[in-house]
Amino acid sequence: MICAEQVSYSYSGGGQTVSDLSFRIEKGEFVAILGENGAGKTTTVKLIDGLLRPTSGRMLVNGLDTAKTRVSERAKQVGFLFQNPDRQICKNTVREEIAFGLRAVWGKQEEEKIRARTDELLALFSFRGDEEPFSLSRGQRQQVALASTLAVKPAVLILDEPTTGLDYRECTRIMEFIKTLNETEGTTVVMVCHDMEVVLDYARRALVMAGGRLLADGPVHEIFRDTALMEKASLLPPQIVQIAGRLGGDYAHADDAETLSGLIAAAAERRRA
Amino acid sequence: MNGLFQYVPGNSPLHRMNPVTKILLTLSVCIAAFLTDNLFVLLFLLVFDLMIGVAAGAARKAFSIFKGLFKVSLFLFVLQVLFIRRGNRLFWIVTDEGLLTAAAVVLRLLVVCLPLALILTVTQVSDIANAMVQVLHVPYAYAFTLTTAIRFIPQFMEEMGGIMESQTARGVEFDSKNVFKKLGMLFPLCAPLLISSVRRTGATATAAEVRGFNLRTRESGYKRYGFGLVDLAAVLISAALIVGAVLIP
Repeated sequence: MICAEQVSYSYSGGGQTVSDLSFRIEKGEFVAILGENGAGKTTTVKLIDGLLRPTSGRMLVNGLDTAKTRVSERAKQVGFLFQNPDRQICKNTVREEIAFGLRAVWGKQEEEKIRARTDELLALFSFRGDEEPFSLSRGQRQQVALASTLAVKPAVLILDEPTTGLDYRECTRIMEFIKTLNETEGTTVVMVCHDMEVVLDYARRALVMAGGRLLADGPVHEIFRDTALMEKASLLPPQIVQIAGRLGGDYAHADDAETLSGLIAAAAERRRA
Repeated sequence: MNGLFQYVPGNSPLHRMNPVTKILLTLSVCIAAFLTDNLFVLLFLLVFDLMIGVAAGAARKAFSIFKGLFKVSLFLFVLQVLFIRRGNRLFWIVTDEGLLTAAAVVLRLLVVCLPLALILTVTQVSDIANAMVQVLHVPYAYAFTLTTAIRFIPQFMEEMGGIMESQTARGVEFDSKNVFKKLGMLFPLCAPLLISSVRRTGATATAAEVRGFNLRTRESGYKRYGFGLVDLAAVLISAALIVGAVLIP
């Protein structure tokens, strides 16, 4: 689905560069990109989306080279949810906002189809079509942005710190929605996230970056358990992983646990087995 | 563009000069440029601008601003030449008066824009505001408005870049060659920019209020802006520029 072949990129103004990135992300995966600020995470996802073109190497999405694909063609394949929804929202009503992205990608002649898809999304997100996006709360605006990103049914969904500035409930609502999409529709999700709890709860694979290079690539639990790697990337694993690590023994390998009670139950299960 | 209004630290006489004198010098260059029609005087003023850039240790910056302005000027020059039909025809539709007027307009544009950009290279925006309040008795609210406007330019540029990126990701083709299509794309850019600007204004106002904005008076500034020999020289040069522009036909 996504294939980076020795991709390097450097900003002309000097900024963070990424170098020699090589990875493959298959269809239906839920991948998190981790690293401290300035590690090159956002640059990497922008390279996947084709917003940035590699200075060397190739980035292929669905077999198409991002450097050679037209903007509208690429937007059909890849949806990008930015950290700040206010940079995206430009219409007076939620309905128009959702339809805007559809018109840009499908063309204005598909008005019937656009209306049907907009209705579908309004129902899915429980929005009133005539609501003004800018009068909504931050979390709701993020949902409007998500709805309009998903409208074109992209095969790949990129999330750049999607939960920043959201409260727990808003964050859960957005992430649960994305999880369902990933599980039922097989949408490939690539997420940049600083909240390790969210990463542990939703992502299945993690790419760890530092200084513009890929440090590690593997299942989330294994990545979090590797204390030397975490330290090298200046990351702190979720508390539950830290507790499991401290307790050691059966607890340290209770991989599926997301809560304390889950950890105890999993350890007990392991002991019985 | 981002670095265009950025302060470059240094210790040249221009850096040490009183900000008010720098404003005076800048204005004098502008006034002289508007008072004269003589191409040689305008050329002299342009060289003077560039020399100021060199004296401030910002030669590269001065030339890069000049290069940027030059492209606009070239466009303006061609327009003027095509539209002015007075005077003697030299070839095709080009007349001597058209050429002279176009040259004067373009030179004037360069002469006026360069020092306005250069003054911000050698003076911190806060110093301009404080000196205006202290020396010229400008109410702080007005000085603050001016400095905030200048300070926000790079932020607006960054915001605009972010908005363009967001819209490109949704499939808006900014690289389209169709002019009408391009015009239609302005709206998705303007609405978010306007909303974010209004929000930012609110946030800035609150931040200023909580730090005692209303309590600020002329006496509040810690730094004093004195007049020295460099300032005297600058005042004399300013006067000479204006007098020269008036007297040289």
